[in-house]
Amino acid sequence: MTAIADSKSFASRRLLESQRRVADLLATIVLWGAACSIVLLLAFFVGYLFYLGAGTISWHFLTAPPSEISAGGGIGPQIFNSFYILFLTMVFTVPVAMGAGIYLQEYARPGAFTTTVQFCAESLATIPSIVMGLFGLIVFVTLLHWHFTALGGALTLTLLNLPALMRVTQEGLASVPLIMREGSMALGATKWQTIRRVVLPSAIAPLTTGIVLIAGRIFGETAALIYTAGVSVSAGRSAYDWSPFHTAETLSVHLWYTHSEGLVPDAARIGNGSALVLLVMVLAFNVLARVLGRLLSHRLTSK
Amino acid sequence: MKGPVIASASTRAHLQESVARTVLLAASALVIVAMAAVVLYLASEGSRLFFSDHISPLTFLGRLTFDPENRAPGALVFIVGSLSVTIFAIVVGGPFGVAVGIFLSQLAPQRLAALMKPTIEILVGIPSVVYGWLGLTLLAPFTRAHFGSQTGFGLLTAGIVLSIMILPTVISLSEDALRSVHASLKEGSMALGATRWQTIFHVLLPAARSGLTVALILGIARAIGEALAVQMVIGNSAVLPKGLLSPTSTLTTEIVTDMGSAQAGSVMQHALFSMAFLLLLIAMLLIVGVRAALRRPS
Repeated sequence: MTAIADSKSFASRRLLESQRRVADLLATIVLWGAACSIVLLLAFFVGYLFYLGAGTISWHFLTAPPSEISAGGGIGPQIFNSFYILFLTMVFTVPVAMGAGIYLQEYARPGAFTTTVQFCAESLATIPSIVMGLFGLIVFVTLLHWHFTALGGALTLTLLNLPALMRVTQEGLASVPLIMREGSMALGATKWQTIRRVVLPSAIAPLTTGIVLIAGRIFGETAALIYTAGVSVSAGRSAYDWSPFHTAETLSVHLWYTHSEGLVPDAARIGNGSALVLLVMVLAFNVLARVLGRLLSHRLTSK
Repeated sequence: MKGPVIASASTRAHLQESVARTVLLAASALVIVAMAAVVLYLASEGSRLFFSDHISPLTFLGRLTFDPENRAPGALVFIVGSLSVTIFAIVVGGPFGVAVGIFLSQLAPQRLAALMKPTIEILVGIPSVVYGWLGLTLLAPFTRAHFGSQTGFGLLTAGIVLSIMILPTVISLSEDALRSVHASLKEGSMALGATRWQTIFHVLLPAARSGLTVALILGIARAIGEALAVQMVIGNSAVLPKGLLSPTSTLTTEIVTDMGSAQAGSVMQHALFSMAFLLLLIAMLLIVGVRAALRRPS
């Protein structure tokens, strides 16, 4: 009897064992499949966007001003505006976000103030881009009577991207070992001297990588700009306009606008070309972030 | 002779210290000011519909008819639309993202992990209009040809685009959550003879529960707030979706579509601001959810 029971339980245990192994194998296959499909998906997107847009890219397309109603318009001023608004946004975002990040990481003690700053930063990061755009519309366009301006767009983007750069700053500073701060303070340096001469230079590689990646994201922001920076290029003396108080349609806004509201007959061509340029810029910012990060950390470790 | 020189250098250093501290504190305070300004201005413009136009919040939240010219700014269609695409995105993209997160934290060989990190960063960086453009030129014709959709625009197309867009958020946060599980838990489970999958399913996933919840909540936040990619493929008609293939609208797409032509001070404009305020409240509610999930011991 016991022998039979034993062999029965042995058989069921073997069954269980093989089920376990099959489940493990299946899970492994599924997980590998999911991961590989992400890489393939991106490769496919990149290939497809090149296939769509490669034919439309020309010197004329990249530099000529857009056309309102006839075919053959370019995207030159929009590319310029994208960089210009990115530049303005970084001018506001970098000091404030790094200041707040340094304060939270190096000075702040846990308490109501720290919690509030962190809660506000997380909330700002979660507010939908279009909602922030309406805030910009209320304050910069209407209340301050700026109308649609590059500056209003940049300030709106600043609010959206402050939290990400704060996080990058905090993580960068956290990666610097405590002992370096202690060494500096033991030599009689004040806290600020320590941060400026020891901590920040040691964190330069992750900070640079993070800032460039965020810049890449700001370059492609769209929803927040439609009702703040506007959907047309400047009507000033030239469509390439350095004034922060003129309308400044960016490339990503142009892609949306020509598709949704535009009147040009070659909207598909402009869309294909703009999508490809935007993709190439994203790739370029990513490569730049990586190269700079590697160069800086190399310089730091070899010195 | 040297005394006063040292003293003045040290006073200067201390002066610098307090200036730096004040400036940094001001930068942090600016974050609070910014958030307060956003909430206040959106709340004040978003409540005009109720206080200036005297429209009941119940009409706004509970009615299907969106006809602001005739004082009927019912936003229920858009609320349902937003919830539908968001649920679709999280049901499809959520498990997918967590699976990749598991892969990256547990299985990935170093080389593949080194390839996937930039892949995910690029997916984050691709602008939403480019996702919309892909949906428009690739997915909409595909659903038209293969699922019998008339236009190709609707819930299904928008949901798929959103599922892809939330992937990077879900992947990186769930990877972090799983990595932060203490190694001893995993080792203990393996030592008891559990397979890798049993360890993942019965030990790691429960242990990382709060972090995974955060990953999914922030995925939801990203999905419900996305405007342009959805607007380009959802069809934008203010009717309840009858199925996955029928066109509809969401809160964000309605704002994008009609804000440009809304007259200042009109019921239409006020209704759109109310929708923006509603989205702001949803975003803040999700952050409160994130905080609650992180406080809960796992």
